[in-house]
Amino acid sequence: MAAWTRRVAVGPADSPAASATWSRRQVLATDLRTIVGRAYPRVRGMVRERSWLFFEILLPFLATSTFVFVYRALRAPPEYVGFVVLGGAMTAFWLNVIWMMASQLWWEKSQGNLELYFAAPMNIMSVLIGMAIGGLILSSSRAFVVLVIATEIYGVSFAVDQWLLLALVFGLTLAALYGLGMALASLFLMWGREAFHLTQLLQEPIYFVSGLNFPVGRLGFIGALAIALLPLAVGLDAMRQLAFAGSDYPKGTPPPVIEALILVAMTVISLLLARWMLRTLERLARREGRLSVRWQ
Amino acid sequence: MTTRSPALDEPTFGTPAWGGFDPARTRGRGVADLMRAFSTATRLGWQMEANWTDPVLFFIYSVAKPISSALIFVVMIDVIGGGSTRELRSFVVVGTALWSFVLSGIAGLAWSVLDDRERYRMLKYVYVSPSSFLVVLLGRGVARVAVGAMGALITLAVGVVALGVPIDVGHIDWPMLVAVMVAGLVTIVAVGMLLAAICLQTRQESWSYPEAAAGALFLVSGAVFPLAVLPAAVQVIGYLSPLSWWIEGVRRAIMPEVGVGAIGGPGSLFTELTGRATPSSPEILLALLATGALVTLGAIVGFRLSDHRARDRGLLDQTTGS
Repeated sequence: MAAWTRRVAVGPADSPAASATWSRRQVLATDLRTIVGRAYPRVRGMVRERSWLFFEILLPFLATSTFVFVYRALRAPPEYVGFVVLGGAMTAFWLNVIWMMASQLWWEKSQGNLELYFAAPMNIMSVLIGMAIGGLILSSSRAFVVLVIATEIYGVSFAVDQWLLLALVFGLTLAALYGLGMALASLFLMWGREAFHLTQLLQEPIYFVSGLNFPVGRLGFIGALAIALLPLAVGLDAMRQLAFAGSDYPKGTPPPVIEALILVAMTVISLLLARWMLRTLERLARREGRLSVRWQ
Repeated sequence: MTTRSPALDEPTFGTPAWGGFDPARTRGRGVADLMRAFSTATRLGWQMEANWTDPVLFFIYSVAKPISSALIFVVMIDVIGGGSTRELRSFVVVGTALWSFVLSGIAGLAWSVLDDRERYRMLKYVYVSPSSFLVVLLGRGVARVAVGAMGALITLAVGVVALGVPIDVGHIDWPMLVAVMVAGLVTIVAVGMLLAAICLQTRQESWSYPEAAAGALFLVSGAVFPLAVLPAAVQVIGYLSPLSWWIEGVRRAIMPEVGVGAIGGPGSLFTELTGRATPSSPEILLALLATGALVTLGAIVGFRLSDHRARDRGLLDQTTGS
């Protein structure tokens, strides 16, 4: 990547006007480098400090186990344990989206990096995509381990008839989730110090309305609203329907194909929204001189 | 008319009034200094917690988390048990309401370290100030416990009004409640101190660690299901956790009529070992004091070790990012 970028970069001997006029290839190369550069610390960080294995895999697994034991205490049907395990795995992505996507630009501002991002000759959307890819890899490892360990220990048996659709729904859920994270990043940047508190507000209340530990259809109107608005709710519901095909899944939510289409719409809308919000925010921040104002 | 000698009015060479060094200033004023540092840190912590928004939004923020947690379990119980699980519902609502103290107590101290080191980059200045670092952290943590207390009280109120939790003020065992609350809160702050010690050593993403630790403790503390459901070895861990005894003690004090308890019951290790169905209230208090004292001592030692290592390796002003 670095070698390719060097080949397409404009040399120092060119005139300032030529240097400022970039070809499409140069723009693309810079954006790709940005994506890789922003994803790198997240992926590399996984091996730099291994305390995350304990704090981000073992402890969340134990938290998921709590819900499993509640269902065991209630002598619930076995598929409910599976619902909890799937929900526990998806928590990794949601936490990553709100802590390391939505709040990230605000962190960067507090650390003094944001003005450098805006001053650098790159598309700021590339930074967000890089953060999303790095975070996705980081969270996937945690979600995968939690899913495998919990499935083994609690004897969850999945019954999948449509593997392709399940994989598609999973991919779309992640795309919609990280798209939402990108949109929230601008919003949280604008909210400043409130963002940190709102991040916490987006945990348990969202877990509840998304039906993280029970079928969301049981919430009636609130559940329907969550399916229309929250990628976590709709994605999880579709995955549960597909992963436990033979079970007595509560009726009341759309079939997986419809939910997949909802996820497509959510992804497109959130990405467009993220792009628009980022531009609006950049304009506002430049006009009001808030790019480098920290801790507010 | 007498004239005073100018020599008597003028400060002596080297005295504090003259501008010299006052050795008393390095000794400090003992407890008075500690109290002042604690109250200042508490006030600062409260302002950091509360002044970011208007009171209405702050109130919603403070209660939304614990109420949602309680509702998750209430719906789980209703999905499986229907309306026949009123006692279990009360058990769960009280457990999740109390857990709000644990979450805020644990997170308060740990986040103070992260806030000051990673965000405001003031940790090194706080550290080198004449105030005791631990006292400042405790003060900051207390402010967050206050927010947790508000959430817990509102959750209990919602439980009583909307979910049929049978708490009758006339039947509350007040001495027991006061005793277990004091011992329990000290223990929670001690666990928070331990997490703060860990966060002194770790990186920026440690923001989620207090929640992760609280989530793991949730499993073994009997907050939302009786410990008898767990394998015997895990039940032992639960009995060693002061949080289990604290929650059980509070439940016993505020809902003496509810038959479901976290410790004891059919199939539990407690019943197997003692031959009795449930522990008595004095036994619960005694167990809480014993396990709480152990955890508090362990937390103090852990904090001192972490503090020493952080100074040794220059972690106090090290910021990270990813």
